[in-house]
Amino acid sequence: MRAPSGLLGPRGPLPLALLCLLAAARGSLADGQPSVSPLTSLPIEEERITKYSNLSLESHNIPPTVSPLTSLPIEEERITKYSNLSLESHNIPPTASPLTSLPIQEEILTKYSNLSLESHNIPPTASPLTSLPIRGEMMTKYSNLSLESHNISLTEHSNVPVEKNITLERPSNIELTCQITISRGVNSVNVTWKKGDELLENYLTNATGCILYAQYMFTIINSKQMGSYSCFFGGEKEQRGTFNFKVPEIHGKNKPLITYVGDSTVLMCKCQHCSPLHWTWYHSNGSVQVPIDVQMSEKYVINRTNANETRLKIMQLTEDNQGSYWCHAVFQLGESEERIQLVVLSYLVPLKPFLGIVVEVAILVAVILLCETYTQKKKKHIDDGKEFEQVEQLKSDDTNGVENNAPRHRKNESVSQ
Amino acid sequence: MTPKPAGPPDGGWGWVVAAAAFAVNGLSYGLLRSLGLALPDLAEHFDRSTQDTAWVSALALAVQQAASPVGSALSTRWGARPVVMVGGVLTSLGFVFSAFARSLLHLYLGLGVLAGSGWALVFAPALGTLSRYFSRRRVLAVGLALTGNGASSLLLAPTLQLLLDTFGWRGALLVLGAITLHLAPCGALLRPLVLPGDPPAPPRGPLAALGLGLFARRAFSVFALGTALVGGGYFVPYVHLAPHALDRGLGGYGAALVVAVAAVGDAGARLISGWLADQGWVPLSRLLLVFGALTGLGVLAVGLVPLAGSQEGCRGALLAAAGAYGLSAGSYAPLVFGVLPGLVGVGGVVQATGLVMMLMSVGGLLGPPLSGFLRDETGDFTASFLACGSFIIAGSFIYMGLPGALPSCPPASPSPQATPPPERGELLPVLPVALLSSGGPRSTLDTTC
Repeated sequence: MRAPSGLLGPRGPLPLALLCLLAAARGSLADGQPSVSPLTSLPIEEERITKYSNLSLESHNIPPTVSPLTSLPIEEERITKYSNLSLESHNIPPTASPLTSLPIQEEILTKYSNLSLESHNIPPTASPLTSLPIRGEMMTKYSNLSLESHNISLTEHSNVPVEKNITLERPSNIELTCQITISRGVNSVNVTWKKGDELLENYLTNATGCILYAQYMFTIINSKQMGSYSCFFGGEKEQRGTFNFKVPEIHGKNKPLITYVGDSTVLMCKCQHCSPLHWTWYHSNGSVQVPIDVQMSEKYVINRTNANETRLKIMQLTEDNQGSYWCHAVFQLGESEERIQLVVLSYLVPLKPFLGIVVEVAILVAVILLCETYTQKKKKHIDDGKEFEQVEQLKSDDTNGVENNAPRHRKNESVSQ
Repeated sequence: MTPKPAGPPDGGWGWVVAAAAFAVNGLSYGLLRSLGLALPDLAEHFDRSTQDTAWVSALALAVQQAASPVGSALSTRWGARPVVMVGGVLTSLGFVFSAFARSLLHLYLGLGVLAGSGWALVFAPALGTLSRYFSRRRVLAVGLALTGNGASSLLLAPTLQLLLDTFGWRGALLVLGAITLHLAPCGALLRPLVLPGDPPAPPRGPLAALGLGLFARRAFSVFALGTALVGGGYFVPYVHLAPHALDRGLGGYGAALVVAVAAVGDAGARLISGWLADQGWVPLSRLLLVFGALTGLGVLAVGLVPLAGSQEGCRGALLAAAGAYGLSAGSYAPLVFGVLPGLVGVGGVVQATGLVMMLMSVGGLLGPPLSGFLRDETGDFTASFLACGSFIIAGSFIYMGLPGALPSCPPASPSPQATPPPERGELLPVLPVALLSSGGPRSTLDTTC
């Protein structure tokens, strides 16, 4: 089908894409032939659409001999609206106008992480170009991997190197972008990428106005590719941005777990949002880690209730079972471990302070009761004494009469003493 | 010839009894509150949810309060001293038994039922005995004893944490069993006192011992109803103040500060209100009404704080509301016990204390779950605090029916002192002969004008 020529023009891509969408139901799309330059077009094959039932986006940037290209940012609405269709966008630049390529925004890609990104840079015959290292086999092999896109923004004169920690669990395609705002001399800035100390190749650089973009795309399939990737911007002062790739961390228990002989206990390791391939447990009494013998099912039971946690149940604890227990989470891209400390006490340990306090309480009670009986006896003695005095006084009053005042006084005095 | 029993000593050995009651309060309520520290370890060991382990504390509290009348009945029969000592041993046994628990059920039985019953036997008799030892300075003494709660939390909480870190929860419970055994020496200090208002013979039969006959008095029934309503809302802030602060976005330390402000206000207010009440400037029942209403308003304020706007303003407002709540709740607490001798006479104080505890337990059981339910339904604690505040205010309204609560009636004739010592039962409209003290001045406050 030949697209009407009115749809092709400098602002061609948009209406062209719309047309493509309308026609996509038929599963194939003929390419519009520009009047100015030859193109290689990749036909959308039926199989690929059904095979990659998540949206596949193919973007062909064909650089003209004179200037860089513009590829319009893929608008979000279109993707959401036609998410079961494939979108092909052929940017056919006129020779006259310069174009700038903008980076595909991070949010869109992480949001539609089941998109596979295939990018073909097809060099025109006239000038040499850098071609991306994504080759044919990799496309078919890794096109069902998710794409992770990460961004670092740097400022020209800052002293602090910027780092971003990225947790990665599964093999993925990675796209790293560093952007820096340069006051002037955009083209004089030297851009390099390094993994650790090793220099990397095959990266893209783009400049828009005062912002310089450096982009590195690669795939992480095994643990060797994990690590730190840094972008360097040379100039008056070298600015550096680092992306650190790590496997997810796991959490156990910070404090030692205190148990007693004969108890059963459960040691648990979990990680927030990850799903390891499998978990293993080790026991170490000194420095050597010995794997737990799961055959002894009366003693050890390993349970995995959720994908992100593991439980080791130990029964009939003895003092030999104490020490450090290690749980390892194995991912495709590496391993993560955590330590839990187990203490096994015998009942004699708390019994000593217990008995001590009981003895002290018994002594207190005895002292209090004895004190009380003693003071009561003393009081009773005094009371008895006073009563005796009173009785004596009455008796003497009765018997002696009034004349015996003096003797009475003397008598009272002697009694009171 | 036996000497005629003197009135309450109002000092002397009474201060020792106050110290003993202080320790009793600390080792029962204070320990119960700190027990929450051990609950996460228990949940982890037995692999049960937080809610299931929370029942251990809730059960212990419920048994302690609901079985309080049993404690007071036993102590009217045999005296406070042996009952409190037995209660101490029982609580200790409960802790020791639960240290060897193999399942959560053992903990429910050991800590919940056994220790709870032990605590039920100690609290009411100790506080009742204290009330008998004082007249002029009663409310102050009771307030002093009630601060044992807060002081013990300050002391026991870090100790418990240390025990948990050293010995694990089993060893910690075992050592706590030994610590609670100190209730026995506290009981030993409660020397029996013979007072003029005592009934001549111990009550016959368990029902009479429970003191249910006290409900026949109108004043006590009014008081009981009001207190039961207040109890519905009173305990909720103990349980839900921290989660409410966390909900408002205060963070762990911010929430702890809010709780601390309420606790300090509470403890300080108990002493001050006790001293104030004893001065006799205002009738106790009026103070009860006022502080009950203020507590209700404080709880309402705490609940309404989120509507005040920004984050920073929210924090300050919440601290102020928590402080207001703490001050009024602390002032209210000793008055509840201080007003009893005026309502039932000295002889019935111990029984009345037990009954009051039981009434508050009804509210204590229903209040926090209702509050939790409201929070789950509405998403935050505003509704729960509003409900609890209204319970408290409703209870305070009922207190208006107490004699002397409303200042509308002028005294029939001028009296030599502002209020006569309350233990002579002057708040009672009709004085039963058995409790009438010999030759005391008649009440000058008439209930009907």
